[in-house]
Amino acid sequence: MGKLWVIFVASISIILPFLCNSFSPETPTDRRVLVLLDDFAIKSSHSLYFNSLKSRGFDLDFKLADDPKIALQRYGQYLYDALILFCPSIERFGGSIDLAAIINFVDSGHDLIIAADANASDLIREVATECGVEFDEDPSAMVIDHTSYAVSATEGDHTLIAGDDFIKSDVILGSKKIDAPVLFQGIGHSLNPSNSLVLKVLSASPAAYSANPKSKLSTPPSLTGSAISFVSIVQARNNARILITGSLSMFSNGFFRSHVQKAGSPTKHEKSGNEQFLTELSKWAFHERGHLKAVNVKHHKVGETDEPALYRINDDLEYSVEIYEWSGTSWEPYVADDVQVQFYMMSPYVLKTLLNNKKGLYSISFKVPDVYGVFQFKVEYQKLGYTSLSLSKQIPVRPYRHNEYERFIPTAYPYYGAAFSMMAGFFIFSFVHLYSK
Amino acid sequence: MAIDGNLHYFLLLLLTPLLVVRHFCEDFTEKRNTTQTKTNFSHISRMARSLAGFLALFLFVLICGAASLFQPISDSHRSAALELFTPTHGSFKSLEETYEALRTFEVLGIGKKPDVTATACRSISETLGLLTSTPKDLFYALKANSIVKCKINEKTSEGIITRLNTAVNGASSLLDFYYSIGGLVLIKDQTSKADVYLTDAEGVFRSVKAFSQSDGRWRYSSNNPESSAFAAGIALETLAGIVSLASSEMDQSLIITLKNDISKLFDSIEKYDDGALYFDDKLVDGHEHQGPLSTTSSVVRGLTAFAAVTAGSVNLPGDKILGLAKFFLGIGVPGDAKDFFNQIDSLACLESNRVSIPLILSLPSTELSLTKKDSLKVRVNTVLGSNAPPLTVKLVGAFSSGSKDASLVESQYEMQELKFDAETGVHILSSLPKSIDVGSYTFVFEIVLHESEHEKVYVTGNQTKVPIFVTGLIKIENAEITVLDGDLGSIETQKKLDLAGQNVVSLSANHLQKLRISFQLTTPRGRAFKPHQALLKLRHESKIEHIFVVGNSGKQFEILLNFLGLVEKFFYLSGRYDIELAVGDAVMENSLLRAIGHIELDLPEPPEKAPRPPPQPVDPYSRYGPKAEITHIFRAPEKHPPKELSLAFLGLTILPLLGFLVGVLRLGVNLKNFPSKAIPATFAILFHVGIGAVLLLYVLFWLKLDLFQTLKLLGFLGVFLVLVGHRILSHLAAASAKVKSA
Repeated sequence: MGKLWVIFVASISIILPFLCNSFSPETPTDRRVLVLLDDFAIKSSHSLYFNSLKSRGFDLDFKLADDPKIALQRYGQYLYDALILFCPSIERFGGSIDLAAIINFVDSGHDLIIAADANASDLIREVATECGVEFDEDPSAMVIDHTSYAVSATEGDHTLIAGDDFIKSDVILGSKKIDAPVLFQGIGHSLNPSNSLVLKVLSASPAAYSANPKSKLSTPPSLTGSAISFVSIVQARNNARILITGSLSMFSNGFFRSHVQKAGSPTKHEKSGNEQFLTELSKWAFHERGHLKAVNVKHHKVGETDEPALYRINDDLEYSVEIYEWSGTSWEPYVADDVQVQFYMMSPYVLKTLLNNKKGLYSISFKVPDVYGVFQFKVEYQKLGYTSLSLSKQIPVRPYRHNEYERFIPTAYPYYGAAFSMMAGFFIFSFVHLYSK
Repeated sequence: MAIDGNLHYFLLLLLTPLLVVRHFCEDFTEKRNTTQTKTNFSHISRMARSLAGFLALFLFVLICGAASLFQPISDSHRSAALELFTPTHGSFKSLEETYEALRTFEVLGIGKKPDVTATACRSISETLGLLTSTPKDLFYALKANSIVKCKINEKTSEGIITRLNTAVNGASSLLDFYYSIGGLVLIKDQTSKADVYLTDAEGVFRSVKAFSQSDGRWRYSSNNPESSAFAAGIALETLAGIVSLASSEMDQSLIITLKNDISKLFDSIEKYDDGALYFDDKLVDGHEHQGPLSTTSSVVRGLTAFAAVTAGSVNLPGDKILGLAKFFLGIGVPGDAKDFFNQIDSLACLESNRVSIPLILSLPSTELSLTKKDSLKVRVNTVLGSNAPPLTVKLVGAFSSGSKDASLVESQYEMQELKFDAETGVHILSSLPKSIDVGSYTFVFEIVLHESEHEKVYVTGNQTKVPIFVTGLIKIENAEITVLDGDLGSIETQKKLDLAGQNVVSLSANHLQKLRISFQLTTPRGRAFKPHQALLKLRHESKIEHIFVVGNSGKQFEILLNFLGLVEKFFYLSGRYDIELAVGDAVMENSLLRAIGHIELDLPEPPEKAPRPPPQPVDPYSRYGPKAEITHIFRAPEKHPPKELSLAFLGLTILPLLGFLVGVLRLGVNLKNFPSKAIPATFAILFHVGIGAVLLLYVLFWLKLDLFQTLKLLGFLGVFLVLVGHRILSHLAAASAKVKSA
């Protein structure tokens, strides 16, 4: 019995590190999500969104944001793979969670969804700022749009906005077009222009502005037009993904089920685009789409199969790599025509687009340049919405060996002829000189 | 040549590790994108956490402050109910869930419900037949049966009655009483036998009453000090059951103390800004903590059950009942089955309670267009949306929101009655008072019941405040754009603008000039209109935007841009600026964003310390994408002369040899000196074979041998040549000396 116990403890301690990890190509499934709420009522009022996550196999752990027992990690291991912050008004998290803990969580490759709202707390704003997104500083400001608001019988102040300026990316929003506008009500944010990792997914119309709807506008609003972002995403360099929005209510059942009609447009949609938009976006944020992995990087001389230790200048070589995309359940071949390889030493000497066989295998053959040195095969693949691939493999290139140059150059025949006729003459002269009388 | 190449290669190998290290460093230095942190100094006043969180639910209905609108239960609830309560494999998980689903369908009057009667009946009779069933199981089985109405045979029901009676006698906690007495009440209604009663009703009543606290809350058991409003609701329902099961009249003093408890409980009721009232238990540790919804719903259930069985009226202000109704309507459509059931069941209790039935005033639309001459429509319903008794709705006031002015409804319009349209059940005010212009208002309605005895049954709330947006088309006139000369203010160019049309203007100005844009806004009633958004946007070619608020005096809107004062703000950027004007308001039906045209600005050169324009965001689509292919350009091969030329010169190099041979022959060369004796002759032959071998070695060196092989062989051949050469040469020297001396 005691032996069994030891085995049990040992196996747990071996397995434990593998149980909770960020998205990893080895174990992409079985993901656990911590959902922090201001109030448990959100669990029921936003249940459609949560149910769609649950139905895709996510294990949601609902906690109050000020619960003193919450923690993201224990004994150095992260307990969750992703964090959803549906607690716009929280001033201080309970337990061991604080701003730094959340930033560390993301820095170690975990995903994050933040929903703020009018009157969002400083803490939530700070988390967003760390992600490269700045909410309007005016706490009472909301996004107002007098030309593309959602027609509604009860909302007359045009803060309920029908947004339809989506990012054009199938990988982020799914291949199915979102027909109905997305309802948004909340605060707008702008992106830090120096941050190249953050993208606007849903932006406001040019007529929108961010202001307090109840007071007179005396100074120009800090955010106007399409610089206002409703929903933004970040893909960090470590492939952690972040989704930020200024509206918690856009996730609510009410908005999911609401019919929508954009002002000035005659079409009335039975259902708003929120459900499709946010579900597709959550698929992206939780790596069910757009996560690439590259395996089997190979290169060899044309006609051979083994990888050489070095190449000689002017060799013909073949380079190949297999690229797959995670589909939520399995790794599917990735098909694209813009994957490029560089043969690189300080700067690319050769840059070629790889050909693919539609089954994930990308290959190309080219001639090694006539410059020797230590080169790299580099694949720096960056595409909107996809995780970036950065492969590099070092390979030295040597010049010709002394005996690999051309012998018996025709141009040199006169020299050869001169030398040998000289030698023949010498041979004859030696007879003449010694034995002639 | 070869050595030189090898040296280069060797140096490269030495450098390789260094290069490797450098590349690795580059790859692994992963910097988090440090974004600029801005401290937000503005203090934000916030509500309590839970309150704010719950208010998120209210976003749909909460518009401003005290004035808010509640809609009765509608079809969205019905479709949501069918989504939430979907049986798996023809049955619900438990009898409790079955009851909740069926009760919800019953209240909402959903006809097209999933048919679970057969499976429900089977599991009900199973539960009732089992001797091991707890009172809780029996309670929910009977509850479900109260809707499914399956047949329970006499014997089973008798057995259940005795079991529940013993459970009542042995009960020690509130929940024990609740389940067993609840079960008895249910079975009393379901069987034909009328002899279900409690022998010692008063005794049981007192033992339940013993759990009550002085503040109107109740405890679950005598050894648990925590009291809650949720338990109070359960207790009230239990006590109502006891009263209905009592064989004789109850002691009235008991009922009166209980009524006092109820009013004490209602003193602890909590309130939202919009008038909704609710109960919330502030239990911190309790893992069985109930949310405000289930707590309030429990109290409502207990209260209505108690009011139904007692003779006298429960003395509660009608406003509180109305506030509770508002609370349940305010949560919208819950996404959780339990919450949904609680909401619907409580509303059903309120719909037909004996305390007072709340009437809800709602508007199909709170946006009224002056231009389209919309009429004000008001609907008065019970919470579940059924018709109200005959009544009149009066508009008693209208306040411009944001200002504390006196009512805009003038005296002659005061107490304006709305006409009732019996067909649609809507109260209509066909034309708005003259004093109402476009804007946002708070209308105050009053409901007057026609029959005075209804006033005891129904509660309407004194006055209902509703936010109303009155919209209309705003006339835009006299729009002009002018470029003025700096000092004199004389007009350089002036152009009329048609803000509704599509024409664009193109202007030019330098930094000494000014730009003026003006227009007038008039409401349909001819008054001045101040839109919330009146913004002028100048956008430079480099996408840098400058935004100005257009100010107004009365009807006239005007903005004067003095470019001399703006050069710094414009970062000294000359060039084309697009001009956009945005005029918009919530009540303006023709809100617009118009590209007026562009202005060519000629600004001075920037001084050295001028501020730099901020970086503009990069277009995400152009950031990625394939790069142009690079192909290496190989070194061109060295140029060689044609082969024929080389061959010709090869021929020329042979010529001297031929000349030499011809000369030698002409001189009459002979080999007379060749030694005639055998030994010297042998050495002579060997010597020349040696020379030939060395020359052949040179040819071989040229063809295939390397330097080391050649030198090795040359060494042997050299030694051999020295030996044989010495012998033959000394022989020849001796021979010639002999000739000389002779």
